[in-house]
Order: sequence, then structure tokens, then C-alpha cells
Amino acid sequence: MDDKTLSDRLIGVLNTLQLALAGLVVIVPTLWMVLSSFKQSYEVTAYPPTIFFTPTLSNYATLSQTTPFLHYGLNSIIVTVGSTLIGLILGTPAAFAVSWTRVTWPAVIALVARMAPGTLFLLPWYVMFRHFDMIGSYWSLILTHAVITMPIVIWVLLPFFDGIPRSVFEAAQVDGCSPVRLFRRIALPLVSTGLAVSSILAFVFSWNYFLFALVLSNSDPKTLIAASFNFIGEGSTNWGGLMAAATLIALPPLILAVIVQRWLISGLTLGAVKG
Amino acid sequence: MKETPDNTKTQLAALSAPALIFTIGMIAFPFFYTIWLSLEAFSATGTSHFAGIQNYRHMVNDGEFWHGLVVTFTLYLLSLALQLIAGTWLALLLFRSKRLPGIIRSLFISPFMMPPVVAGMMWLVILDPSLGAANYILTSLGLPPSDWLASPTWVIPTVALIDTWQWAPYVALIVLGGLQSLPPSVYEAAEIDGASPFKRLYRITLPLLMPTIMTATILRSVDLLRFFDIIYITTQGGPANASDTLNIYGFRVGFEFFQFGYASALMVTLSVIVLGAVLVLNRMRTAVAW
Repeated sequence: MDDKTLSDRLIGVLNTLQLALAGLVVIVPTLWMVLSSFKQSYEVTAYPPTIFFTPTLSNYATLSQTTPFLHYGLNSIIVTVGSTLIGLILGTPAAFAVSWTRVTWPAVIALVARMAPGTLFLLPWYVMFRHFDMIGSYWSLILTHAVITMPIVIWVLLPFFDGIPRSVFEAAQVDGCSPVRLFRRIALPLVSTGLAVSSILAFVFSWNYFLFALVLSNSDPKTLIAASFNFIGEGSTNWGGLMAAATLIALPPLILAVIVQRWLISGLTLGAVKG
Repeated sequence: MKETPDNTKTQLAALSAPALIFTIGMIAFPFFYTIWLSLEAFSATGTSHFAGIQNYRHMVNDGEFWHGLVVTFTLYLLSLALQLIAGTWLALLLFRSKRLPGIIRSLFISPFMMPPVVAGMMWLVILDPSLGAANYILTSLGLPPSDWLASPTWVIPTVALIDTWQWAPYVALIVLGGLQSLPPSVYEAAEIDGASPFKRLYRITLPLLMPTIMTATILRSVDLLRFFDIIYITTQGGPANASDTLNIYGFRVGFEFFQFGYASALMVTLSVIVLGAVLVLNRMRTAVAW
């Protein structure tokens, strides 16, 4: 019996060691990015690389002085918040209707939109937006990013609406409550958690999305993600600035993801896996 | 039911109408428009006329297309294998350590919640052939340095590694969800029978996990077959055309060479590939369900 506990303990130690190793592989590159953003320009490209150094904010200062970083950041926020709101406005009632009627086409179309390559939509969008003279407007980006956010909202909210006991609906209906009233007065308050989770996930994926802004905001309104390509051009001489930009761009989604981590996996797998 | 069913129906339709209109305008119409564009031939002056399957015939004879197809599937299969293996391994470790503090969970979600573009920027610096930290570590260990993304041979494995760094933790959290929903009784029975830990893993745990692993496979396949962001940021399909996936090639044909008809044909083909893969994998998932 002693033998067994010993080998059990050994397995436990090996387990922890492997986990620590995996954790290091995951975190070290990100730490390196953040560390590099606080290095002086001569230190970032030092070879051998330095681990200990006097931190400086000069890269962040240069970034806001030499590039329209804050302007791009504002563009990103407008596009991301706008597309998240549109996604919620379109997706929430649709999710409720799907949950009620069990007519699943909106959910299926949302899934197909999630699977199609973004490049498939870009040419028609470009033609459409040029026709309506919307190239270079916030609306072109907000609407295209809503193609990302609406499916997320529908799929994240669906299980929350499904979770409301049918008896609640039936009781309200007997009292003469119409579906629209039922949706606004009873269902919406009951899925407030779902609304928070879906808005945060929609925000993160809209913020992270690269392709649409790359084509549709070539000049203005350029978003941070689309502008990162320019930072790389400058980055060949200025790694510190590049890493400062990368750190700042990654910060909003990372902070938000930590908040919703409990619901993250079921949200990201479209409910196929309970997190 | 005091409501007349007709009124209920109208109201429910009204609730989904905004999403429906948006879907028709922004998803369905562009979808069919692209299919139509793929059947058009554009002249140098910008006029176009119906050309049937001419663009598709051109595609079948285009070496770049076949190259892109090979690159896409090499990258797809390599990344998928790495992510499934690393992800399942990580999930088993996390499952055995029982308590999972929030901070550890946050640590493992951080790679896949950061923008892929940021991951690309970050690894571009770390993997720089002359001044990057990765080659410093390699040479310190007495190993030969690598050109990573700048090497035509290594660029695909390197991109696969970057994507695995980003998404293996995602696979791990999905598989962990599957592990946590397995009935504990199967383990107890196997333990009583005296099955060794390895036998338990291969004979019991992994087969029971197959549906969950297939779910992860489908979700990753959709993204991997459309691989774009990290490649566009780091190599733009280079060096030469060594990392020119179908999605990158189609994008360049459309937005750098402005061959709208041919680009549409490439994108329709890629969509069919993604959709076909999902259908096949979904059937496989049904086959391993228990």
C-alpha cells in the first residue's frame, strides 16, 4: 500500500511539473511582448536579449506622438461598440423567436455566416458600399462587423432563453401577454447574464477581427487592428513601439475575456460544449 | 392561449424580421453576388460579361491555385494534429489537478482571446532570425538557429506552431468540459478491474472523449481552412509563395491584382471546401457518439 501512495505522489508531482511547463510556454511569449514594450530602443534589439533593465514608458509616449494611435483607438472603439450594439439589437429578438418557435433557420444562417471565409463577402460589400458612397464611413465597418457579432449574440443567448421555464411564458400568455411584451417585460430581464456575456464576446471578436477593416478602412476610419500592419513597417526599426502597440491592442479583449471566463467556452463553441 | 395564434405568429415574425433583413442584405445577397461574379469575365476597361465556367476552368489550370490548396491542407493538417494532441494532453493535466484556480484559467485563455494579429506581431519579434529571443535560446542550448518565418521550408511549421500556441489551450478547455461530464462510474469500474492508468486512458477515457474531440476538430477546421490573419501579418504568403494559402491567394487576386471574377471563383471554391469539410466531420462526429 505504501508503494501505491508513493507512485500516486510521484504521478501528482509529474502532473504539476508538466502543468507548470505548459503554463510557462503559454505565458512567456506574452510576458516577453509586454517586457519589450517597456525597454529602451537600444535594449529591445540587444543580443543576447536582456531580462533585467530599467523600465521606460518612452515607447508608449513615442507611439502617441508619432502615430495617430489614439485616433485609431477611437475608431476601433466606435466600430466595435457600434457593431456590438447592432448585433444585440438584431440578434436578441431573433434568439428569443428561435427559442420560442423552434424554427431554427436564423441560427443555421448565423452558423453558415460564421463558417464562410470573410473574403467571400468582401467584393460584394465593396461594390455595395461604393454604390451608396459609404466607403470610408464608420457605417461600412459597423455593418460588416455586425456580421461577426450577430451570430455570436444569437448563439450565446439561445441557451439562456431556452433556460427560462416554459411555465413562465404560458402563465403570462394566459394573462393575455403578447410575445413582444413577453420578450421585453419578462424574457429580457431573465437573460441579463446572457446579454452581458454575449455583448462582451461580441465586443472581443469584433475588436479582434482583421480582414474587413483591412480592405474597407484603407485610409479612414482606420482601426487599430488594420493599422497594425503599418506599425510592422515601422517596427523593422522600432521593436519597442511595435510591442507597445501590440500590448495596447491586446489589452481590451484580454481584460474582458477574464470577466466572462466562466461562460467563455460554451459561448465560443456555440453551446456545443458546456464550459 | 388568449392570443389569437395569427397575432402571435405576426409578432414572432416581427421579432426576427430585423435579423432576417440584415441577413438578406449583408450575407445572402453578397453570397449569391459572389457566385455570379465568379461566372463573369472582366475586361481591362472594367466592363464584364457572362463567361460561364471560364474562371473555374482557369483555376483548374492555375498552378498557384493547386499550390495554395497544398499549402492550405498542409498547414491545416499539421496545425490540427498539433492542437488536438497538445490540447488533449493539457486537458488531462488540468483535469487531474482537480482544483483550477481562476488565475490559471485566465492564463490559458489569454492566447486565444488576444487578436491573432497581435500574436503575429509578437512572434514576428521573438522569431526574428538575427535578433530574436527564440534563436538565442536555441544557440544557448547548442542547437542550430532557424530562419523560422523567413525560411521557405520552415515557414509552414512555424505558422502552425504559432497557431498551436494560440489555440491548443482552447482545445484543452473544450476537452476539459468533456472530461468533466464523463460519468465517474466508468473509472471506478476500470479501477476495480485493475486496469493500468495507460490502459484506462486508451481504452476508456479517449474513446469516451471522441465526440468532444470531434467538436473541437470541427471548430478548429473552420478557422484553419480559412487561415489568414497570422500569415498576412507575418509573411503575406512568403517567402516567395511558400505560405500562400487559398484564402491569402484569393485575397491577393481580388485586392492586389483586381481580378474580381477569378478571385470570386477562388473564394467560392474555398467556401465549398470549408462547408464540405464541416459536413464530413459532422458525420464522423455522429459516428463516434455514444
